[in-house]
Amino acid sequence: MGRAAWALFAAATLGAQDFGQRGFLELRMTGFPQTAPNDRARGVAAALLRYEATYRRGSWRLAGGVDARTDTHHESERRWNLSLLDRERQRPSFALRRASIAYERPGLTIEAGKQFIRWGKTDILNPTDRFAPRDFLAVVDNDFLAVTAARLAVGAQRNTVELVFAPRFTPSRIPLPNQRWAPLPPGATGIELRERPPHWPGGAQFGARWNHVGAGWEGSLSLYEGYNHLPLFRTYPAGTQAPLRLEIRRFYPRLRMYGADAAWPAGPITLKAEAGWMRSRTAEADEYLLYVVQCERQAGDWSLVAGYAGQKLTRRGAGPGFNPERGLAQAFLGRAGYTIDSNRNVAVETAVRRNGNGLWTKFEYSQAFGRHWRATTAFTLIRGSPDDFLGQYRRNSHFLLALRYSF
Amino acid sequence: MSRRGLIAWLLAGAAWAQDARQIVEEAQRRSRADSERYEGTLEVIDARGRKNLKRWIYLRVGSHGNSKAVIRFTEPPEVRGVALLIINHPERASDQWMWTPATQRERRIAIQDRSTRFFGTDFSFEDLEERDVNQYDYRMIGEDEVEGALCWKIESRPRKTRASQYTHSLLWIRKENYTFARIENYVGRELVRRAHYREVQNVQGIWTPRLIEMHDIRRNSRTLLRLEKLQYNVPLKESEFTLQALRRGS
Repeated sequence: MGRAAWALFAAATLGAQDFGQRGFLELRMTGFPQTAPNDRARGVAAALLRYEATYRRGSWRLAGGVDARTDTHHESERRWNLSLLDRERQRPSFALRRASIAYERPGLTIEAGKQFIRWGKTDILNPTDRFAPRDFLAVVDNDFLAVTAARLAVGAQRNTVELVFAPRFTPSRIPLPNQRWAPLPPGATGIELRERPPHWPGGAQFGARWNHVGAGWEGSLSLYEGYNHLPLFRTYPAGTQAPLRLEIRRFYPRLRMYGADAAWPAGPITLKAEAGWMRSRTAEADEYLLYVVQCERQAGDWSLVAGYAGQKLTRRGAGPGFNPERGLAQAFLGRAGYTIDSNRNVAVETAVRRNGNGLWTKFEYSQAFGRHWRATTAFTLIRGSPDDFLGQYRRNSHFLLALRYSF
Repeated sequence: MSRRGLIAWLLAGAAWAQDARQIVEEAQRRSRADSERYEGTLEVIDARGRKNLKRWIYLRVGSHGNSKAVIRFTEPPEVRGVALLIINHPERASDQWMWTPATQRERRIAIQDRSTRFFGTDFSFEDLEERDVNQYDYRMIGEDEVEGALCWKIESRPRKTRASQYTHSLLWIRKENYTFARIENYVGRELVRRAHYREVQNVQGIWTPRLIEMHDIRRNSRTLLRLEKLQYNVPLKESEFTLQALRRGS
């Protein structure tokens, strides 16, 4: 028995070994032509060092990644601590981006730890992507955060079932209250906002997704039970004398999502659709159907995506909150990309509110230099009325210059 | 033309067509291997002569008509881990998915999008598919010489079941060893891509061009693909050619 166990162990550990790594150092400079009432800064410089590595041995895979960052605008913490769970209000100076262990066999993957789980098929907006919180500190330039979860995927090609259990909640990081991406609502100018410590959900989150790949088309059904990674706020008046103060506390409402997504070719284009019906037991939370319909086409050096994101409110909860997903609803979305040559790309992305009250458009040019360097320059135009999700950031149009060294 | 002459002409035409198909079948038979692995070095040279280097690892299991392949970029660093899964079918165009580690999502490449360049190279997604002999009709054009090698020159047209960006292609197959010497791909009467197959070597009994030069005529750019560490019939598992495997490969 001992010899058999040793043989099994040897077979598992002496199999194929593989180590892979990648990363980059990126310097970004953002310039704002206009100041904001709560933020007089016109320029922000930031640096991010990201390193990711994977190691395989037999059926086992380890994946890890770390971020180190700093900036000139206190978007990142100045403390030298390592964040494990991404719950900090500011971006942590050092963060464990990913740390997971996976066991993989044909038709079976079990992964546990901090990992990225992406659901959905559409671009720009994914209503079913419930295990994908983001860093929304600069709302329109956001980045995904990993979740701490266990994931089981069964199936290989035609039918795949994915089960997810996340014992610890990872929230999206929302804009800082004293900065331009957290504008005060109209009529609230002069009110001083203070944040109370958030109320973190105590329960776990579950998810299940079935994906079917057909001949030329594919579709998924998904179910999520847990909490919304986007918060609602409870407000507490603090004092009646000027300056008026308001204290707010973030909390994360219960959420059950029934989702579906599909992609199928239709003549010269590919149609994609994705919808999530969000239900909640939290009284302050809205219940709504969020959906995206888009068509896309790639031809030659062009890549084109055009679509519409809509929502149907089924119950009004009336709690104030921060929800960029719904902020892009009732809007026409589009993206056009052109590959100039093997080193240069241009792209334009846009979201235009159906009622014309909000506009976000980003023009981007990117060029690689040699094997390691890439420079990206972009201009983001934001316009609209103050009571619109996009329009409230109308003073935040900005230029961006980013220089990245990949290794 | 007399009746006898017409019959002779039709028979000769049928015989040439048969010959063309048999030649391509023989070329396919001689290149048959249960699996393949190589490390590809790609040098992309644009119209202004600027060069860009990329590398990928290519894995294939199965043979013509029913093969599966994975292409995974290893260089430059910013595209490391980007991968393409190709599942070829005998009766129709392949299924393709591209995995991008930065977004942690795979994306299906629709058939109508296969004319797009593959990650800045001069290969389109369709050029990376397998050309199974049964998905095309053939016509012998004649004989020709390519870089000193005597070749059959054959026209191929995709059958209706085979969706293609190209209306037809001209194939040059070396008489000496049944390897491709050149392929020209046309849209209507316009030549859009030309592939040259050079440095033919015998690898494990299979004559194989080790250098493929793909020329995008419209852009006047070229990609040189050099096949290094090429091995046939290596032990590869079918389970490594699935969407799940594509994701975990990052």
